[in-house]
Amino acid sequence: MTRTVHLTVRQAVLEQRSFWRSAEYALFTFAFPLMILLLIGAANAGSHLPGTDIKRTTVFVPGILAFGVIVAAYVNLGSKVAVLRHDGVLKRIRTTPLPSGAYIGGLLVSTVATVIFITAATGMIGWLAFGAAPRPGELLALAAGLVLGTVCFATLGLAISSVITSAESAGSVAYASFLPIAIISGVFDPTFSGLPDWLSRLVDMFPVKALAEVLQNAYAVRPFPPWNLANLGLWTAAGAVFAVWRFRWHAT
Amino acid sequence: MAVRVNGLRMRFGGTEVLHGVDFDVRYGEVFCLLGPNGAGKTTTLEILEGFRPPTGGKVQVLGLDPAAQSARLRERAGMVLQECGFPRQARVAELIDLWRTYYPNPRTLADLLGVVELTEVRNTQVRKLSGGQRRRLDFALALAGDPDLVFLDEPTTGFDPEARRRCWAAIENLRRLGKTIVLTTHYLDEAEQLADRIAILRAGRIELTGTTHEVAVRAGLATRISFTTPSALRRGQVRPPHGIDLSVRGPESVCHTGNAAMTLRLLLDWARQNSLGDLDGLAVTAPRLEEAYLQLTRTNGDHA
Repeated sequence: MTRTVHLTVRQAVLEQRSFWRSAEYALFTFAFPLMILLLIGAANAGSHLPGTDIKRTTVFVPGILAFGVIVAAYVNLGSKVAVLRHDGVLKRIRTTPLPSGAYIGGLLVSTVATVIFITAATGMIGWLAFGAAPRPGELLALAAGLVLGTVCFATLGLAISSVITSAESAGSVAYASFLPIAIISGVFDPTFSGLPDWLSRLVDMFPVKALAEVLQNAYAVRPFPPWNLANLGLWTAAGAVFAVWRFRWHAT
Repeated sequence: MAVRVNGLRMRFGGTEVLHGVDFDVRYGEVFCLLGPNGAGKTTTLEILEGFRPPTGGKVQVLGLDPAAQSARLRERAGMVLQECGFPRQARVAELIDLWRTYYPNPRTLADLLGVVELTEVRNTQVRKLSGGQRRRLDFALALAGDPDLVFLDEPTTGFDPEARRRCWAAIENLRRLGKTIVLTTHYLDEAEQLADRIAILRAGRIELTGTTHEVAVRAGLATRISFTTPSALRRGQVRPPHGIDLSVRGPESVCHTGNAAMTLRLLLDWARQNSLGDLDGLAVTAPRLEEAYLQLTRTNGDHA
């Protein structure tokens, strides 16, 4: 048991080091959400949500937290695993006695570390630049939401990695499969509206909006449909089933 | 025996690609599966490595059943697959060090870097290595657990001569460590250079097994004896020796024989009797694997 933990940690350390060495990964995963946070945040500073005294940035910052979680857990892990599979790194792992759990575990631990870095940076910058802070007593709810979101989107990342067939397209496929949904889910603009009814109902079914609302609710009193948690749970379960069913150690 | 293969059969869908393959590999030897592309070399290796269960026959590697006991096999056998990537941003020493943690009794990092001659690039990122260096890093990773047996699948395919020579040197180093090595190749010179014993695999069957020399002899090849044609022989002042099928090709005289010692004795006697001295330019060439291989593939081609 301790050996598996040790192996997992060693694996995660190399993953993290590699992550920071790769300008492309680090930039997209880390700098991109922060850039959006500052740019769109600055444009909305001072204005309030219509009919309330809630500052726009107070709801916008947790939206970017959700965005950061999704980028780190879903885009980053998903494209990473696709590249590892394409490059034959997964195949090579199979030639060693390393338990597959320790290997996947290492990737997940490294992903969690990236999520922690990115959410900490987003939260701090959001607080310093726009004064956005979680409601008193909601810090635990915020942490729980982040954990739930990380688990859900890391699982979906593993699932999407099996759908991506080339290393070159890995990042784009992962991004393109969630960015439009993120936009119409109101991640960047909490007052985003005017969608046709069917589309807005469809968007409600995806886990992006659910995660954003869970996190936004920790910052300001917002409409909070209880099925958001069920939504994240169901996507996690579906993602896990698909990821396990489709997982391959070598590119086909 | 490090490896025992008995009546090995493999079928993919409706096509059988291995039709009852037999061979043994002894501890400490370099054993080479030689054959053209598509002969079934990689499939055989993948079965030995435990990646595929065979359709039929018996396979034992280090006393283990590779398909059923793959976890135990992987602690004791290093595997270099034909093509396998590295994590792009990892550095050489860092990666080898990580691999060492996978095994109960790893070799030291310095030792591994030395064996594959990568000490100078130990802090280089893997993606900046040349093809030959990457292959040697493959070897280092396969050796990390100090395995008893190392599988190498076409270790130098596509390399330039210099890179091949350095790979061969690395494989020689493995041999010196006392490792049993099973390698596949379609390069004859590679088999000749590295292997203690060779099995020629063709279209899913083992055609011949033995040392390079044995294979050549079993393929029915003769030793070649040649010498500079003496002027007296060329001018017809001396008659050719009896009982030797000597052909005089201008400045060189050549004969082929299955019994080199006897033919040589006859030749030298004949030279002494005719005052031809020690026969200038006398050369005895053992049958080459290349000729055996070509002859084998040719005759089999005729059958097919």
